[in-house]
Amino acid sequence: MSSLILVVSAILVIFMIVGAVVTIHARDLLVAIIASAIVDLVLAVLFYILQAPDVAITQASIMGGLTTAIFLVVIKKTERYEQ
Amino acid sequence: MSWIIAIAIIVLGVVLTLIRAMLGPTAADRMVAVDSMTTITTALLVLLALYFKRYIYLDIALVYAVLAFVATLAVARYMEGGL
Repeated sequence: MSSLILVVSAILVIFMIVGAVVTIHARDLLVAIIASAIVDLVLAVLFYILQAPDVAITQASIMGGLTTAIFLVVIKKTERYEQ
Repeated sequence: MSWIIAIAIIVLGVVLTLIRAMLGPTAADRMVAVDSMTTITTALLVLLALYFKRYIYLDIALVYAVLAFVATLAVARYMEGGL
C-alpha cells in the first residue's frame, strides 16, 4: 500500500472522528442522524480503500440508506429535540 | 505526481463540504452539504478504481451513488412533513 493511500485513509478517519463528536453533542436529533450518516458513508469509502468492496456495498446500503430512514421514522413518531 | 494532485483536489472538496456539514446553522444546509459530499466521494471512488487498476470497483461507485441518494431522499421527505 503506497503512502498516498495511507494519507487519504488518515484524512478519512479524521472525518469519521469529527462526525462522531458532532453526533454525540448535537441537541437536535435530526442533526445527529445526518452526522451519523456522514460517518457511515465515509466508513464505506474506507472499506473500499482497504480492498473490501463487498463490505463497502453492504455498509453503504444498510447503514447509509436503511438505518437513516428507520431513525427518521422514529423521530417522526416521537420528538425531534432532546430535552 | 499527477495522482497526488488529482486526489488532493478531490479530498479538498470533501473537506470543504464537511466543514459546511458540521457548522451549518440549519438542518437543510447540512443535508445539502452531505448530498454534495456523496457526489464528490463518488468521483473519488472512480479515481481510486483507476489507481488500483481494478475496473470491477466501478460498480461499487455506481451502487454508492444510488444508495447515498436514499438518505437524502428520506431526510427531504421528513422536512416536508411526509414520511
